[in-house]
This record gives sequence, structure tokens and C-alpha cells, in this order.
Amino acid sequence: MIHLKNVSKSFMTGKKESIEVLHSIDLQIKEGELVILRGASGSGKSTILSLIAALAKPTSGDVIIDEKNIAKISDDFAALYRGENIGFIFQKYNLLHNLSVEQNIMLPLIPMNLPLELVQQKIQNVMEMFHIEHKKETLCAKLSGGEQQRVAIARATVNDPKIILADEPTANLDKKLSLHFIEMLKELKSLHKTIVVATHDPLFFGLDFVDKEIIIDDGNIQI
Amino acid sequence: MSHTPEVLTLFIINILLICFATVAFFLSVRIVKKYDPKSSTSLQYKLQKESYLTSVIIKFLFFIKIPLFLFFIFTLDKLSELITGAMCAAGVVDATGYGNYLFVLKILNLYLFALWLLLHERQSSQEEPPYFKEQYLFFIFLYLVLIAEFVLEIFMFEAIELDAIVDCCGTLYSNATTSYIGAIFRINTPLLLSFFYANVLLLLFAYRYKKSFVFSLGSLLFLVIALVSLIAFFGTYIYEMPTHHCPFCFLQKEYYYIGYILYILLFYATFHGIAGFFVQERKRAFKAIIAVVLYTAIVSGYVLSYYLRNGVWL
Repeated sequence: MIHLKNVSKSFMTGKKESIEVLHSIDLQIKEGELVILRGASGSGKSTILSLIAALAKPTSGDVIIDEKNIAKISDDFAALYRGENIGFIFQKYNLLHNLSVEQNIMLPLIPMNLPLELVQQKIQNVMEMFHIEHKKETLCAKLSGGEQQRVAIARATVNDPKIILADEPTANLDKKLSLHFIEMLKELKSLHKTIVVATHDPLFFGLDFVDKEIIIDDGNIQI
Repeated sequence: MSHTPEVLTLFIINILLICFATVAFFLSVRIVKKYDPKSSTSLQYKLQKESYLTSVIIKFLFFIKIPLFLFFIFTLDKLSELITGAMCAAGVVDATGYGNYLFVLKILNLYLFALWLLLHERQSSQEEPPYFKEQYLFFIFLYLVLIAEFVLEIFMFEAIELDAIVDCCGTLYSNATTSYIGAIFRINTPLLLSFFYANVLLLLFAYRYKKSFVFSLGSLLFLVIALVSLIAFFGTYIYEMPTHHCPFCFLQKEYYYIGYILYILLFYATFHGIAGFFVQERKRAFKAIIAVVLYTAIVSGYVLSYYLRNGVWL
């Protein structure tokens, strides 16, 4: 399902200087798998997620999702691909704090032009699934860290994406809430979603329902 | 030599445009030579990014060229005040052997640039553009035409002699002229008008019944018939003078710059109409038909208004 083929990624640091954060990596993730990308800060985990989400293009190599090289498509088509296939949970959740829980969750559905009834039903479903329906009218600015994260997960799943990407999802949570997030991951996996989590949180290591743990070290995959 | 502030402004803007176009030209050459959609090397990703830059530059060139063309006509008109004998832009265009060619080349270039943008828009709407390299090859040709246009423009303005006497539009566009323009005035007016209105009806019919090929062909025909009828017939009602056929004078203040509106409508309508041959879009045909109807209403309005005020035809 996801295949990163000989992918390198460099960022320009000056006019002529660049830094290579991924060195010709090869990575394959099957449909429905839950994969943990382990590694220290700056190792290239988030860059891998950005490439899978078509938020960035590689410097060289192919990013193949469902037999389509998404690295080659234009920005307009990349946005379309993201809207249909990707749910992204960011480290800082990236919620719009002056909007309510319901409005935040609704955001990925706006470009889809769905009937209002269907939109409301989808929002209701994910709010129930992640136990946040009692806060639907509350502004996100007034939510606790754990609640904000549940809204972020609900928003990432409301468009029913095939792939869910989470970038350091527990970095701002205490242990209890982190364990709760892990439970939610388990629930998402049972829905046959392909999930990739980039983290250096030890709570994620050695979990029995995780299919693969991949160690990223300085832009290389350690086997 | 005619280095008026307007001419110098034209030169400076054109030099800037040529600079941008040159960047786009070299990038296009690189894309045509090296782009391979099947390869995923760093060069290919770089070329893909460069293609975005190139298309942005080409769009910029087109959107500057439209007002620049109008400014070019305005410059000719201003220049006519300095040239003995010239009453409007027509005299200036005819003052050298380059004027008419330059004028045609400028219009052609605008159509070609618009066609490039149209093709690019169609390419961008597809996930794997089938003619990716070809569109940049087309720009390489466009660049050469652009350079030819600029060289011709320099030649024209450098060849204009301010102290030489030139023909005015009254002579150039009179019934007595022996040039190819004279043939326009020998066309039977009722026949010409029948063609004009039949052409409008044909376009309305083709639009209503979604006959895109007929619509494109009709639009191409409309460009010719509308221009001829404007010079031979409708123009005389704008001037309210049966012998005055100049296609430039109604660009002047005395006629409330109506010529600019008419030419913009005409070129806008015919471009979108002809474009239907390449891209069949209802929205584009709608834009064309609206412009055709507006154009027809304005030129017919001048004739009707004259008749209602004076009780006679010219």
C-alpha cells in the first residue's frame, strides 16, 4: 500500500548548502498495518510522514501509495489526494482555537461538498467514537490537552481516510492520557486503517498490536 | 526616430518582459531536453518545480501584454500629434513599412499566448499531463515570435521620421484607396450586414444546440466579418460620417474610447469561441456568446441611435 522507494530528501540551509535528512530509504507498509517510526528528534521521522501525506516532495525516489507515485503529482492533485486518503494528527494538534469542537471536526469535509445531513452524521459518529460529543459546542481554546487530542483524532478520521499519520501524538500528554491515546489507536486499527506513528515515546515500544517498529537513525532505516 | 516618453516606456517594459521571457525560455529548453515523467531523479523533481516557475512567468507575460497592447495603440495615437499628416494611429502605423506587420504580429502573439494558457490549463487539470513537454516546446516558439515582435517594434519606432509627411486615415481608409483595404469598401453593404447578423445567429444557434465545432468556426468567421463590417459600415455611424472608415479614430477621447471596448469584446469573444476547437467547455462558449451579443448590441446601437435622432440612414 505504501512504498517509499529509494527516497532521499534534502533541505536547503543556505544559498548553496543543503542538508540531507533521508538517505535513499526503502520502506514498505501494507494495508491495515500499524507501524511505529522510532527515532530521536531530527532523525527524519516527520519528513517521512510529510512525504506520505504529499505535504512535501522527495529530492529523489518514489513515494508510491496504492500503485500511484504521489511524489510526481501536482500540488492541486496532492491536495485532492490528502483530502480523500490522509488523516493527519499533528504534535500540537493544529486546532483552530476560536472554532468549536464540531466546527474543527467539520473542516476536512468542507471541500467535499457533501450534503449537510451526511456531514452532520459523520461528525456525530466520530464525536461518539472518541467521546467528545458532550463538548461539541465548546471552543477548542477551552479544552484540556487530552480533549484537544481527541478532537484532533476525530478531525483526522472524519473523512474516513485509508491512512492515518500521527506525528509525536503524545508529546504534550501525561502518561495516563498517552495510554488512552494508545487505546484509541487500537480502536482505529480494528477499523482496518493503515496507521503510521512517528514517536520517540517509549510507551509505544513493544505493543502487541503493533505490526512493525522501524528505527530511523540520522535519515537511515535501521533493521 | 520618435523617442517620446510613451515610446521609451514601451521599450523599457518590453525589455523587462524579454528578460523574464528569456528565463522562461531557458527553463523551457531544459524541460524539453531533459524531462522524463518516468524517472524520479533529483533532476526530474527540480525540472517539475522549474515548470511551475515557467508557467507563472508565462502567465505574467500574458497578463502584462494585454494592457501593453492597449498602451501601444495609445502610444501610436499620441505620436500622431507629432507626425505631419497623421490624424490618428492609422497614419503612424502606415508611416513605415513595419507598422502593419507589427500590428498583425502583436494581435497574433496575444492569441498564441492565450492559446498557451488554455493548453496549460487543460494540462494542469490532468494528473498525468500527456503533452507536458510539448507545451514548453510551444513556448520556445512563442519566445521567438516575441523577440521578432520586439525587434520589429524597435525598427518601426526608429524608422518613423517626425518631419516626414504621412497619409492620414481619411486617405488610407477612403473608398478611393487602391490598397487591399479598398476592397473592403467595395463590398455591398446589405450583403455585408446580412453576413454579419447571419454569423451572430449562427453562433447563437451553435451555442444553443451545443455544436462546438460550428461555434469555433463561426467565431473565426466572426473575427473577420466583424472587423470588416466595423471598418466598412458600423464605424461610419460611430463617426457619423459616411466617408470615414478609420479603425483607429474611435479609440480617441472624442468617441469616448469606444474602440477599446469594441476591440476587447471582439478579441475576447473570438478567442473563447475559437478555443472551443481545442477545449470543449460550455463556460467558455458562454463567455464568448455574451461578448458577441454585447458587441453586436453596441455597434447596432450606434446605427439605431443615429436613425432615431435623424430619421435617415447614412
